[in-house]
Amino acid sequence: MTQNEINWPAALRATDSGEQAAAVRALREQLQNGLRIALNGRRDVSEAHLEDFAQESLLRVLDRLDQFQGRSKFTTWAQAIALNVAFTELRRKRWQDVSLDALMADGERMTEPAMMADDVLGAEEDRQRLVVTLRQAIENDLTPKQRAAILGELRELPFDQIVELLGTSRSAAYKMLHDARRALKQRLHEAGITGADIQNAFNI
Amino acid sequence: MKPENQRLTSEQVGSIVKMLGRTTDREFNCNECLQHVSEFAEGQLANQPVHEVLSKVEQHLALCPECREEYLALVKILQAGP
Repeated sequence: MTQNEINWPAALRATDSGEQAAAVRALREQLQNGLRIALNGRRDVSEAHLEDFAQESLLRVLDRLDQFQGRSKFTTWAQAIALNVAFTELRRKRWQDVSLDALMADGERMTEPAMMADDVLGAEEDRQRLVVTLRQAIENDLTPKQRAAILGELRELPFDQIVELLGTSRSAAYKMLHDARRALKQRLHEAGITGADIQNAFNI
Repeated sequence: MKPENQRLTSEQVGSIVKMLGRTTDREFNCNECLQHVSEFAEGQLANQPVHEVLSKVEQHLALCPECREEYLALVKILQAGP
């Protein structure tokens, strides 16, 4: 039987301990091979890291086995979880020294003219109007934590790091960001700034 | 970091605006995206049409660089084959 033909959920739940152990070994090996392909060339990833990621991923997959609904191959579903485990850990290591206080202080300064680069401030009229409206919306319509979260995104902080800094759950942090984006979008809409204006101002 | 390094660049302001352009009232969060991204990846590689649920995955991937990074890695693995 090839690995594609294995009924993974059944094998991983098997009451026969030998069958279950074999399935666990095979899945761990498959996840580790996938991670090796995905993370190939990264200097911050060793073979020991791959083993740790695969083991942690395996536990996560077993924990979520009931959530697999068969809309994709089981191994693709499990590999997506493994990638999430690995990348989350790699991002956490990279950004672990950033503090919420520093991010919130920078978030407060987002509305100051000095926070805008010269080519933003010296832009043509349409673009300046858009930027000014955006700055006012950031200042008036967002909470300090929303400003910090938006700034964190702009600085490409990992989402999990933003979640950790805000001291909240992933869902709550995503809602905070989503609410912030909706509030800013609404303000631009109220100011009569259209999608076409935005495209013209930023060549997007 | 010194204030000089904290200035928002033109590119970053443009990023905010782009984010707003892609913002809709109902979006998938990262967990919801993860639940469906394997189906989306397989569908993309098979050139299948994107149905309503998967269009939310597509939209989330356009907004979230981390989920996009993981999706691209998943595609890389799938393309490498068994």
